[in-house]
Amino acid sequence: MSVLHIAEVTKTFSGGTHAVNSFSLDVADGELVCLLGPSGSGKSTLLRMVGGFEQPTSGRITIDGEDVTHLPPERRPTGMVFQSHALWTHMNVFKNLAFGLKLRRMPAGEIREKVEAVLELVGLAGYGDRMTNQLSGGQQQRVALARSLVLEPKILLLDEPFASLDQHLRERLREEVRDIQQRLGITTLFVTHGQDEALSMADRIVVMANGKTEQMGRPDVVYRDPKTPFVAGFIGTMNLVEGEVTNGQFTRSDFTFPLPIADGPATLAIRPEALDLTASDTPKATVHRVTDYGSHGLVDLDLADGTRLKSMVAHPDLFRTGQGVDLKPRAVAAYRNNQQIFRS
Amino acid sequence: MSEFVEKAVSVPTETAAGRRPIGLLLVAIPVFLVIWLVIWPAINAISRTIWRTDADGHSSFDLSSYAFFFSDRYSLDNLAVTLWTTLVCAVLLLVICLPIALYLRFSHGRLPAYVQALAILPMFVPSIILAFAFIRVLGPNGMVDILLNAVGLPKIRTPYLTPWGPVIGLVWDNIPLTVLILLSGLGSVANQSIEAARDVGANTIRVFWHIILPRISNSILVALSFSVLGIFSSFTLPYLLGPASPEMLGPFMQRTLRDVQDPIGAMTQAVVAFGFCILFGLFYVRSVARNRGK
Ligand SMILES: Nc1ncnc2c1ncn2[C@@H]1O[C@H](COP(=O)(O)OP(=O)(O)OP(=O)(O)O)[C@@H](O)[C@H]1O
Ligand SMILES: [Mg+2]
Repeated sequence: MSVLHIAEVTKTFSGGTHAVNSFSLDVADGELVCLLGPSGSGKSTLLRMVGGFEQPTSGRITIDGEDVTHLPPERRPTGMVFQSHALWTHMNVFKNLAFGLKLRRMPAGEIREKVEAVLELVGLAGYGDRMTNQLSGGQQQRVALARSLVLEPKILLLDEPFASLDQHLRERLREEVRDIQQRLGITTLFVTHGQDEALSMADRIVVMANGKTEQMGRPDVVYRDPKTPFVAGFIGTMNLVEGEVTNGQFTRSDFTFPLPIADGPATLAIRPEALDLTASDTPKATVHRVTDYGSHGLVDLDLADGTRLKSMVAHPDLFRTGQGVDLKPRAVAAYRNNQQIFRS
Repeated sequence: MSEFVEKAVSVPTETAAGRRPIGLLLVAIPVFLVIWLVIWPAINAISRTIWRTDADGHSSFDLSSYAFFFSDRYSLDNLAVTLWTTLVCAVLLLVICLPIALYLRFSHGRLPAYVQALAILPMFVPSIILAFAFIRVLGPNGMVDILLNAVGLPKIRTPYLTPWGPVIGLVWDNIPLTVLILLSGLGSVANQSIEAARDVGANTIRVFWHIILPRISNSILVALSFSVLGIFSSFTLPYLLGPASPEMLGPFMQRTLRDVQDPIGAMTQAVVAFGFCILFGLFYVRSVARNRGK
């Protein structure tokens, strides 16, 4: 039973960078929360403050009700998995895992049992005698994960642990981590800037920008209903079209769409899968390129003024470059002043 | 087809063969210099100290100069003071330079830059100037004495012309190189590996002992063997700052050659010094090889 509570935490670096800005988050027991955001949005800084590697300028961090804000890392019940270069190369795998247990003065027999159990858990049974430089990148990150898990931390922190691995391995390890996390029921904070990673494994995602929460919620909800144009553009692929609304009609170039909001500038957001294309005598857009992915196709379109849109279609062979098409959005959201003001 | 394959295979070997003479030439120059300037004089000195020519022109195998060195109280005292100085300097260098290097590696901002500049400074100060600065500050009626006198305290017992004189001078002289070598070793310790150790519960001392020290043990060996070899055969600082008796092997050789006019004696001392340096070298090579094997 472990809950993490981050209250109004701010971190200002000596240079004056506000890396994290009055950030609050509650992570429930056994929950996996993904911190998602562009480079420099303060994800690592936030995670490092939870782990004790940075001191917040202000705010409080509590774990199970205990204030840990000013505890050094070695006295926090957190375990961190770093991006890379964190294994101790002068020790073999077994010693890497046993180090923390030895510091806790656990008897040797018990250490051996625990280390072997954890190696089994991460799929590296029998690798104890290997030196760390005799492991592949994926195996190294598994050892790093095992090294944190063997201490049974209350909170597991992962800072882009798979960023240096290739796509396939990343996907596999992501699933493994999710499995292990659910099996152990360990409360986890996971930093990534891969949105597919966040969408596929998180109970909840927190989209960060400039050290602040832009939106937080269940991945499918954030995907379906982004509250700001930033989130709309950041999560998944999204057509963001800026235009003018006059008399309930949104206009950009030749493209118009009925939008029941007050007159003024607006940003229209349409997912590629919610943008249907039809043949038309009065085309609104021209097909620029058709890409066939087998299961579906993606059509790149240009409005008359050059604005590029994407549409996902079931039958890409119906379209060809240069063809004129009409646009039929099935679901849209509209934003003004960074606020969502309409959703259909 | 097979011809094509043959050609493809033979191309790299051809260029490798073409490069070989240049490679050999590049290796040959330093090898030649080492043979000419180090190995040949060493063999020459050793042979001249063990194949002695007597008054009649007969040359014969004769270890009497070594027998003399190792039975002469004065020579042995000089050897002992040389070994003592080397050992004390090595310990002091480690005790002084390791904290400096750790500080430079793990702190940020403007101050470490100044500390680094200060630590490297002795490298640009010639030994002679260093020795005279030492005398002006720590010597009899030097700056320290004057300051102590001004506040009514007794004079210090000056280390000038005691065995501690060369120790202080040599340590000061060797700080830059030692700090630089240790610093380069510390550069290979990744921040994340240290943070990971703190994360699993290691405090600062444990991190140093279990994570940092094993990673830089080779650098410590390199730094110490560099300074030990230099100190063991140093001349200027012990000559200017050390006592007349016992004296370190450097000044001892010089005096045996010039003042006592005993070239065979001086050569014997040199061979003994050379032998010790080879011992240090072997110890270093063995330790590095053992660390590599780990
Ligand atoms: N030690 C530091 N000193 C000064 N500024 C820092 C320091 N560490 C981070 N920053 C700044 O804080 C901001 C947030 O950095 P942070 O590393 O948290 O971003 P991030 O979201 O993890 O980015 P990325 O996805 O690239 O890892 C950046 O503008 C960065 O330049
Ligand atoms: Mg980061």
